[in-house]
Amino acid sequence: MICCKECLDLLCDYLEGTLDPEIAAQLEEHFEDCPPCISFLKTYKSTSKLCRQTMSQEEIPDFVKSRLKDFLNKNIRKPS
Amino acid sequence: MPTSEEKAREQQLVDELKAGNLEAFDEIVNLFQKKIYSLGFNLTRNQMDAQDIAQDVLLTIYRKIDTFQGKSAFSSWVYRITLNAAYMKLRSKKKEQFVSLDDAFPAFNGSGYHQEKIRDWSESTDSLLFSNETKDVINKAVDQLPEKEKVVFILRDVDGLSTEKVGEILELSIPAVKSRLHRARLFLRKKLSNYFDEFYAKKEAKKP
Repeated sequence: MICCKECLDLLCDYLEGTLDPEIAAQLEEHFEDCPPCISFLKTYKSTSKLCRQTMSQEEIPDFVKSRLKDFLNKNIRKPS
Repeated sequence: MPTSEEKAREQQLVDELKAGNLEAFDEIVNLFQKKIYSLGFNLTRNQMDAQDIAQDVLLTIYRKIDTFQGKSAFSSWVYRITLNAAYMKLRSKKKEQFVSLDDAFPAFNGSGYHQEKIRDWSESTDSLLFSNETKDVINKAVDQLPEKEKVVFILRDVDGLSTEKVGEILELSIPAVKSRLHRARLFLRKKLSNYFDEFYAKKEAKKP
């Protein structure tokens, strides 16, 4: 049976689905008997999700968009 | 992942821009400006800097399109230019912070089993998970990450690019991308866990 420390090293591959099926099965077997690892896995997954939702930009602010447009018009349309 | 039609369209736009077609450039701007701006913003945490970066990058695409040889995807080239522009910005500010990511690993006993209690805060209410305070914790923690881990985390987990794509952009092997990603996630998980542990401890202390 693999230990918690080994599970930690496999977490990234496990979530990407790139783990060897046999090793993934061992990992899942460990999870069944190990509440701390389950909590760890869930909070590890949640971390990515929370960060994505917090940091994803919806849109560029309008004033930035219009400044970019002006900048490009000045520097590209009328080369000096 | 872009579809093959999107890739073909990208290639067509690149060819048209190389031939001097300004409409192709406009379309490239529309396709990429949000990605460029948001990556710039997430790396610098500053609107003005992100705007400067976007200006630099768009101008570089226009001026240097002839140097793009198509060895990697056009989008990877654009990401690389954006990262370079963002690094220049960050270096000019000389804001170096050294945090050790080693502390982010959980504590194991001699047999490799978890030593401390691990709270599962993942199912907390949305009002806690998405509170402004939580957002602050996240923004500060991401800002503290060393550059190497930060950029992998932002590209992979925030922008949602595939591990392979991140490897192509950064010219890193897949195991190297995963290792940096894992270290970043562990660090951020630890920061969030500390925050939620404190939150629940305070809440429990208040109970009569």
